[in-house]
Amino acid sequence: MKNGRWYQSVFSAPARIDLRGFIGQYGTALAGLALIAFFLAFAPNFASTANIVNVLKDTSFLAILALGFTLAFTVAELDLSVAEIASLAAVVCGWFVQQKYPPALAVSAALAVGLVLGALNGFGVTVLRVPSLIMTLGTGAIARGFAFMITQGVAFVGRWPTEFTGLARGTSFGVPNLVLWLAAVTAATLALVKCTRTGAHMLATGEAEEAARLAGIATARMKRIGLLLAGLLSAVTAVLLAANLSSAAPNMAGDYLLYAIAAVLLGMTVFEPGRPNIPGTVFAALVLKVLGNGLVLLGAQYYVQDIVLGVIIITSVAFSASALKKAAFKV
Amino acid sequence: MTPLLSLRGIGKSYGAVVAVRDVDLDVFAGEVVALCGDNGAGKSSLIKVISGAEDASSGTMHLRGVKVVFASPHDALAQGVATIYQDLALAPRLSIAQNVFMGSELTRTLGLPFLRVLDKRRMEAESRRYLAQLSVGVTDMRRPVERLSGGQRQAVAISRALRWNAEIIVMDEPTAALGVKETAQVLDLIRALKAGGRTILLISHNMRDVVALADRVVIMGAGRKYVDRPLGDLTADDLTHLIMAGNGRAG
Repeated sequence: MKNGRWYQSVFSAPARIDLRGFIGQYGTALAGLALIAFFLAFAPNFASTANIVNVLKDTSFLAILALGFTLAFTVAELDLSVAEIASLAAVVCGWFVQQKYPPALAVSAALAVGLVLGALNGFGVTVLRVPSLIMTLGTGAIARGFAFMITQGVAFVGRWPTEFTGLARGTSFGVPNLVLWLAAVTAATLALVKCTRTGAHMLATGEAEEAARLAGIATARMKRIGLLLAGLLSAVTAVLLAANLSSAAPNMAGDYLLYAIAAVLLGMTVFEPGRPNIPGTVFAALVLKVLGNGLVLLGAQYYVQDIVLGVIIITSVAFSASALKKAAFKV
Repeated sequence: MTPLLSLRGIGKSYGAVVAVRDVDLDVFAGEVVALCGDNGAGKSSLIKVISGAEDASSGTMHLRGVKVVFASPHDALAQGVATIYQDLALAPRLSIAQNVFMGSELTRTLGLPFLRVLDKRRMEAESRRYLAQLSVGVTDMRRPVERLSGGQRQAVAISRALRWNAEIIVMDEPTAALGVKETAQVLDLIRALKAGGRTILLISHNMRDVVALADRVVIMGAGRKYVDRPLGDLTADDLTHLIMAGNGRAG
């Protein structure tokens, strides 16, 4: 068979095994695996079931939020509002639960918040033509303001119904529900980007907007879809965070922004180098959480994580040169 | 014989600047028409009107005898007029198949009518067929376009026109920025298109390309058409002189 040999789909370079290409594509994955092996060997309790489940659950929040960022980045737009949208959606969800409304209503309200703010980002970027970097910073500030207004700065905490908290805390078929949510979101986003026309149009828009427009693709609509889905996934993260903690605070997801960006950028150095990609984001989220957890177990000070995070963000962008990077970071 | 494409009195102004003045042009099925002229002659503006990128300020356009107004390049493409731009309008990091089918992907159903997924296998097979028609020996349709030579990229851009079954292919400076070997490849591509019955409107500064390919030559200067004749035994030097003469007229 002349075409479609197994390694042609695995390696981008056709018809020969190329060491540099291999390292370019899988270097980060190998480094991540080496990191896990290192902590398995040296970090006390790292390998305990409780710790691994903990890391996986923690990864789920980050990965789902970062997948939203990935979809926005796929259409070459930055969404810096994902964490603040998540905080506001969590607070809205928490308010409904606190007021004893049915959990389904609370979840719907949270998702509506994500969709409305995601749509606002899309409107600002495509209709008002505000660069996404600025538009989403603005939306994030608005969301933060509303979150503090609703809570008056105090977190909603209480004994919330298990049908709500069970969304995040329970297990199904022996697997933590959070991990199942992550699997479902990963599968859905992967199917969207890889198997549908909309996904193909989003990719083309992100890769070469002018070429996509000339080919008849509604590029502005694709950008609105990317930003809308980023808002939606922020809200999904918010519901899971609130359910897991039985509480909702106005700044509860704030810390996740930098981690989400790091996950997407680090993810761009693996699997499909230079391009935001879904398996890369999920894998990078796991690596970041393993790193944080392992450092804590090794007794590192709390500030070490921030330093490491900064280094990861800068080096991943430095090493993944791409036209998309230039396009997205323009103001 | 009805011309495939017919322009009457086409004009294009940008504010006070008149780029194209009162151009009549007939293009017949199966011929290669070369559109020549110095910089600023109005070729690009005329092409933008034909490709649907811009509206004409005056005049009418008929396709197969029917009056048409193209709302966008995609509208023109859907009606059978494909324009291959100088920068080729490709996404360099996407695959050959993704580029050929950009904006018009093939799908198949997954049992239910609303569950449609991309039919990657069919898109790859058809892309391979288009490239084979153009005698381009690339078989891996998943290869990113950035890893192709200039001539092969041109073939990918042309394959997109074939995918739309475009009758008229407008090529804007297809050999600019190409080396000698790749230029020869592109000339072969254009001959293959002609042999396949396509009609080609070729914009070129390279008079040797024009002599090698064109059936008819149209020369513009200062926004007007002033030569429209069969190539006959004109040489590259003759064409250059005609263009220079047009510049004199413009001045």
